[in-house]
Amino acid sequence: MSETRFRRMNDLPSTHLLGGGTAMCAGCGGLQAIQEIYDVLGPRTIFVNAAGCMTLLSIYPFTPFRGSWLYTAMACAPAGSQGVRDALDILVRKGRIEPAEDLSVVTLAGDGASYGMGLSATSAAIDRGLDFLYVCYDNEGYGNTGQQTSAATPFAAVTATNDPPLGNPLAKKDLFAIWAANRPTYVATAIAAEPVDLARKIEKASAMKGPRLLLILAPCPTGWGFEPSDLVEIGRLAVSTGVFPLKEWEAGRTVHTKIRRPRVPVEEYLKRQGRFRHLFKPERQEAVLSEIQRRADAYWSAVE
Amino acid sequence: MTRLLMTGNAAAAWGARLADVDYVPAFPITPQTEIVETLEHWREAGEIQTRVVMMESEHSAVAAAGAAALTGVRVFTATSSQGLLYAMEMLYTVAGWRAPFVLVNVSRGIAAPITLEPDHQDVLAARDSGFLQIHCASVQEVLDAVLLAHRWSEHPTVRLPVIVNLDGFHLSFTREPVEVPDAQAVSRFLPPFDPGDASFRASKPVSRAVAVLGGGPYSYFRYQMHRASEAALAVHETIAVEFQRACGRRWDLVEVYRAEDAEIVFFLTGSYATKARDAVDHLRAVGIAAGLVRPRVLRPYPREAIRAALRGKRGVVVLDQNLSMGQGGVLHTELAAALYGWPGAPKVLASFVGGLGGRDVVLEEFREMAHETLRAAEEGRESPRRLLYTAQELREVRKLQGIALAEREDMAKEGM
Amino acid sequence: MYRIRFHGRGGQGIKTASRILGSAFFAEGFETQDAPLYGAERRGAPIYATVRAARTPIVERGPLRRPDLVVVADETLLVAAVAGVLAGVAAHTVLLVCTATSAQVWKERLRFEGPVLALPAQTDATADARFLGAICAGGAARLVGAISRSSLEHALAQELAGLEQSDRHASVERALAAWDRMSSHAGLVRDQEGTPDEELASPAWIDLAAEPTPSSEAAILVPATSVQVRTGLWRTMRPVIDEELCHRCSWICSTFCPDGAVLVDAEHRPSIDYDHCKGCLVCVAVCPRHAIRALPERDAQSAESAS
Repeated sequence: MSETRFRRMNDLPSTHLLGGGTAMCAGCGGLQAIQEIYDVLGPRTIFVNAAGCMTLLSIYPFTPFRGSWLYTAMACAPAGSQGVRDALDILVRKGRIEPAEDLSVVTLAGDGASYGMGLSATSAAIDRGLDFLYVCYDNEGYGNTGQQTSAATPFAAVTATNDPPLGNPLAKKDLFAIWAANRPTYVATAIAAEPVDLARKIEKASAMKGPRLLLILAPCPTGWGFEPSDLVEIGRLAVSTGVFPLKEWEAGRTVHTKIRRPRVPVEEYLKRQGRFRHLFKPERQEAVLSEIQRRADAYWSAVE
Repeated sequence: MTRLLMTGNAAAAWGARLADVDYVPAFPITPQTEIVETLEHWREAGEIQTRVVMMESEHSAVAAAGAAALTGVRVFTATSSQGLLYAMEMLYTVAGWRAPFVLVNVSRGIAAPITLEPDHQDVLAARDSGFLQIHCASVQEVLDAVLLAHRWSEHPTVRLPVIVNLDGFHLSFTREPVEVPDAQAVSRFLPPFDPGDASFRASKPVSRAVAVLGGGPYSYFRYQMHRASEAALAVHETIAVEFQRACGRRWDLVEVYRAEDAEIVFFLTGSYATKARDAVDHLRAVGIAAGLVRPRVLRPYPREAIRAALRGKRGVVVLDQNLSMGQGGVLHTELAAALYGWPGAPKVLASFVGGLGGRDVVLEEFREMAHETLRAAEEGRESPRRLLYTAQELREVRKLQGIALAEREDMAKEGM
Repeated sequence: MYRIRFHGRGGQGIKTASRILGSAFFAEGFETQDAPLYGAERRGAPIYATVRAARTPIVERGPLRRPDLVVVADETLLVAAVAGVLAGVAAHTVLLVCTATSAQVWKERLRFEGPVLALPAQTDATADARFLGAICAGGAARLVGAISRSSLEHALAQELAGLEQSDRHASVERALAAWDRMSSHAGLVRDQEGTPDEELASPAWIDLAAEPTPSSEAAILVPATSVQVRTGLWRTMRPVIDEELCHRCSWICSTFCPDGAVLVDAEHRPSIDYDHCKGCLVCVAVCPRHAIRALPERDAQSAESAS
């Protein structure tokens, strides 16, 4: 294990950089992650944002950022990031600004943009070797518009556009694999419920150059149907059931950063969420529940 | 000063080179591609210090252009037609960002059906976006317009991006003589890029392009863009004077040719205006007091300059190389709005639509448009409205249809 | 025209309330128009919805000029200026509040000109919050007078059809109880004319001039201005740290607070920024020593004003 500032919870920053007073729902898993990320990254950053829930972090005249922020549109945040990064490089190289004025460019996008219309821009940015950090907060649906199904929605989840008895019939897209196939510098999954793991990955990514992408599961009380106070428990269960693997990809190799043995049955995770309630009431849908377990098992048997 | 033969695309590239642009994010599309290729070759040869980046779409290219301009560098890009429309969301966005940069549009007709040949449908689709618009009629004008556009865009009163439009093929691939200003003259006119208070720096954190909720605040920012665009008219005059001083050529908001004492005037933009000049000379030679009024700037709309040019005329022959489906030509519609209720307004405003997809508008047609308009003026008749098309053209289309729509039995008979 | 506005928080069924009343009017043969404030729905955040009803087609839109009735599902909003509960209130406006105190207390506190009526507040904020909309609609319907009980029942059946049976029954029961409670005031809310011409002032237009950048751009040059937004207003439950039980462990509460509203001092003592705490109660759930407990916000506020 390489050098890291973050070994235990008390190694995490105790002051929080992001201003309070934003319009995110109480108990937002995405905001929880951004708090932790911002504390590690600091204000010498510019967050370039794609349309999604987090766009409403900044509503004139209120912004929580102590560094910079630029909202672009839904499909092109990586392209906006390219423009900022290139311009800063030009300014430094031509001596028009001091190197101390330089910023790290961070693209912030939800799953709606990342898994779909933003994928083209992301892939191309990786192709060009753009030096940036890409953070996807994944709440598994088009959250800002009312939780319609996106390519990130898991199998059998009920959403605004997929009703019971089954909910979403399609599997969640493997964005991690797609990003990795583009051969960037670094890809990782993380979740705010595992803050030390998250902080280490941010720290590690920050020390690298080139395209570095993070896929962060963002449990969403409003969209998934659970009490905000359950936020951390749901996040922990996503990991301990193996539904959300914590892993890193670098130079063709995937390494899992946390493997829980034995894994908790996926039911423990599903039954806490309104979007999976139809699998338990009015009757248990055994076939579907077994299928979800089977898919999780299949993933881990390939890993272990 | 050097006088060279060059294409419109080369002239656009020369404008960017002389402007010492820092950054060119782009995407290839006919008939623009050469512009960026030229810049890339110069960079490779060490002749310019510009960073050229091929993006994966025009939507991304415009996003990158605006973001880089906001960060504080001089930006240039180019596109056409489908590409301009693909970027349309971002055209509105970057104008709303008040990002200063220049986008050269090489105009080309829009699908469907898809074509490669020129008209003005594409550039006019952007007219509500907040971008300023300069429409060129010669290759010389293209080079000069790029320089003017950078200066105009970066002016603190303006701070809006600018489209410089040149017609595909007729200007993009056509060589004409161009006086290339020397770098010193240009630097007298166009100083290095000064971002003013708009930039991204570690020492000055800023949140830009944030959401604005509430009709009052939103309206404020949108009205301000409009006011800035309007104020750009006066700024154009100022910088045009300076450009003349530095480079010897005067470019006005509206170009007039033999219009002062004209009875009827042609009113159109772009390279076909050159043909209209020819038509004016022909008509004058047979005693018809014709003239030409060519708006160079379409956004902001130079209403006062247009009114001044049209005062006292009996008729205006508007030639639109565009067509708003179900309404008619855009130039005609906007001219009518500018003249309505003004006592000096010409009585006859004729609407002619032609030149779509590169369709030629020949001298005979210019003459006939003038005659129709004059007749209407003299006889107090309604203003003519016409989509330019000939019997011969229709016959040719019938032949094509004959092939495309042949009955299957006919094909069977012919053993296909 | 009847002009009625409902106020509450996201999650309290305010949109439903406006739809129940709108449907009840409609069932009664009125032309109606109902709408929530668009897009503000965050659980706990202030929200309002409007209802218009008349015998002729409605030709007004948007915010109500002079509401005839303002219904407040959550009385804590009455003291929050940003919730705009009293916007446009006129001399004849009736105020109906779900309150734990009394109508009289509110009439005095607000110096309210018109009648103030009370429905009993649901003191267990989480359990009955979902029924608040139906309760408010039931009370409002009775005050209107022109709506029959059967029209209300019809509207309740229609608008609550998506609920589970037990919730539907509970809602309908409470709505009708509120209806009955308001019986002695039936007809207090009357059909009013629009604003008479003499009372229409000039709009005071200006010619907005061009202003220089940066004022004319939507850019925020000051960092972290969001701290001026008191999202603490969203709270219906307040987390309170018991300093005796708190172990000053490793600021688990502070790390997991999604809003960064738990601050840690130099001595590792956590404290909650109540200006911004939204009451999600994640801290309550994660504290390993259970040193944080949750109190209903209204009780915490009463305790504060008492001390």
